[in-house]
Amino acid sequence: MSASLPCLGYGLGLRSAYYQDILDQSPAVDWFEVVSENFMVQGGKALYYLDAIAERYPLVMHGVSLSIGGPHALDQGYLQQLKVLADRVKPAWVSDHLCWSRGNAHQLHDLLPLPYTEESLYYVADRVRQVQDVLQRPLVLENVSSYVRSADDDFSEWAFLEALSRLSDCELLLDVNNVYVSSRNHGFDPWTFIQGLPANKVRQLHLAGHSDYGDYVIDTHDHPVSDPVWALYQRTLDYLGPVATLLERDDHFPLFEELLNELQKARELGASVLNRRQKCA
Amino acid sequence: MRLIDWQLAFERYLLGAPVAADVTLGSSLMGGPTLDVSTGLAIYHNAYQARLQEVLRADFPAIHDWLGDDEFEQLTAAYIRQNPSDHYNLRWLGKGFELFIRQHLVPEQSAPLAELAALEWAFTLAFDAPPGTPLTMQDMAQLAPQDWPTLQVSPSPSLQWLECAFNSVAIWRSVKDQAQFPGCTPLDSAHTVVICRNELVCQYRSLEPEEANALKGLFEREWSFAELCSELTVICGEGAPFQAVTWLKQWVHDGWLQRHKS
Repeated sequence: MSASLPCLGYGLGLRSAYYQDILDQSPAVDWFEVVSENFMVQGGKALYYLDAIAERYPLVMHGVSLSIGGPHALDQGYLQQLKVLADRVKPAWVSDHLCWSRGNAHQLHDLLPLPYTEESLYYVADRVRQVQDVLQRPLVLENVSSYVRSADDDFSEWAFLEALSRLSDCELLLDVNNVYVSSRNHGFDPWTFIQGLPANKVRQLHLAGHSDYGDYVIDTHDHPVSDPVWALYQRTLDYLGPVATLLERDDHFPLFEELLNELQKARELGASVLNRRQKCA
Repeated sequence: MRLIDWQLAFERYLLGAPVAADVTLGSSLMGGPTLDVSTGLAIYHNAYQARLQEVLRADFPAIHDWLGDDEFEQLTAAYIRQNPSDHYNLRWLGKGFELFIRQHLVPEQSAPLAELAALEWAFTLAFDAPPGTPLTMQDMAQLAPQDWPTLQVSPSPSLQWLECAFNSVAIWRSVKDQAQFPGCTPLDSAHTVVICRNELVCQYRSLEPEEANALKGLFEREWSFAELCSELTVICGEGAPFQAVTWLKQWVHDGWLQRHKS
C-alpha cells in the first residue's frame, strides 16, 4: 500500500495568480506543486516568489514538457535545466506525465496519449531510467486524460502503468480526475483502473475539474472538482490509505479563499475516509 | 503501425489545417461509446491551436487589442502554421512574431504593427532575464576617485533597446491603462525607448537623442566615463561632467548598468 511512501498532506498548485496571497496570508496548505517549466527561466518575479514560498512550504515539481514517450531523443538541455531547478527547489519529488508532448520536428505542447503496446513499454521504460539517472531520484509519472486511444493496444492503461513502474522503478501520480475523464470517453470502469495500479507505487493524487459535454468530457482544470470525482477520490483513499493530495486549477481562477475552501473539502473528506478506515482496521 | 510512424502521423495532423486525419492515422485509433475518433482528434487539434494562441494573446495584448479577436486569431494562426514551436517552454513562442508580421503583411500595415510587437516582446524579455549585478548608488559612492575616469559599464541583462518610428508606447500604454485606443501615428522623428527590469518591475523610458547617444557610446563603443565627459563637451561645453554624472545617476537608479566585464 502507498502508506509506505511518506505523505505530504494536502497541497495546491502554485499559480502566479496566488503568489502574493500565499505570502500575505501564509495559508494552511501543507505543500505546493510547481509547474517546472514556469520556473526554468533565469530571473524575475517567478523565481523570486518561488524562493520566497520555498522558504515556508515544502514543494513538489511537476513538469509538462519531458515528453517521456516522444519520438525524439531525450532533450538533455531540458533535463539539465530540470536538474538545476530541482537542486534549487529541493522538491519532495519530481513528476511529469506518461505521454508525449514533442513530435519529431516540433513541440506540440499537449499531453498526448501513447499506444499501450510492448514497443511503447520498453521504449518508455528505457527513457525513464535515463531521466532518473540524470535527476538521481525516481521519476513520478501521471496518467493523462485522453480523447482517442490506439487500436493496437496490448495493455490497458493501468496495466501499462503497472508494468512501467515495475520495469523502471518509477512512481505514479494518480490523477483521479483524469481517470474519470478517460473512463467516460473510452467507456471503462474507473475503479478497475485504480485497483489495477500498484498501490505501493502511488506517490501522489491529483484532483481537478473538467468540462462535461454529455457525449464526452474534457480535462480543463477550470471548474471545481465534480461530485463523481470526489466520490472516486474517497474510494481511492479508502483503498490506498494516506496519499499526498493536490488540488489543481489552471484557468478561471477563483478567489484564493474559494480554492482554499475546496482544498479544505478534500482534507475533510480525506480525514473522514482515513478515520473510518483506521477504525475498520 | 510502429510507434514512431503513429506519432509522426499524429504530429502531421496536429500541425496541419483542421481537416480529417489521414486514413492510416484514423484507422489506428479508437474512440469510445459516445466519442468518435474524429471528434477525439478534433479535441487535440483545437487544444493545440487554442493553447498557442492563448500564449500569444498574453504576450501581445496590445496587438490583440488593436486587431480585435478575429484578425488576431487569423494572424496568430498563420504565425503558428509558419513557426511551429521549437522550444519546450511556451514562453519563447512569440520570439519570431515581429519578423513574421514584417514578412506577412504589406509594409504600410506591417511597420507599426511589427514595432508594437517588438515593444511587447521587449517587455517579455526584460521580465525574466537574468538579474545580473546592477550597479547601485552605494557602488558608485564607494568608487575611488582615481577609478572614475576609467569606469566602464555594460547594460544590465534585462535592458532592451528599441527605436520607435510610431507612437507604439502610447498604444501600449493605452492598453495597459484600459484607455481609449489613441490611433496609430508616425512620430515626427524616431526616438529610443529603453525597457529594463528594476528589481522585479519592468519599466520603460523614452530617451532624448543626446541621452540615447551617450548610452550607445557607453554600451557599443565602450566609452569610459572620461570619454563620455569628453564626448559631451560638444553639446554641453563646460557642463559636460555635470551632465554625465546626472545621467549616470539616473541610469544607476533605474538599474540599467552593471560593471563592464572585459
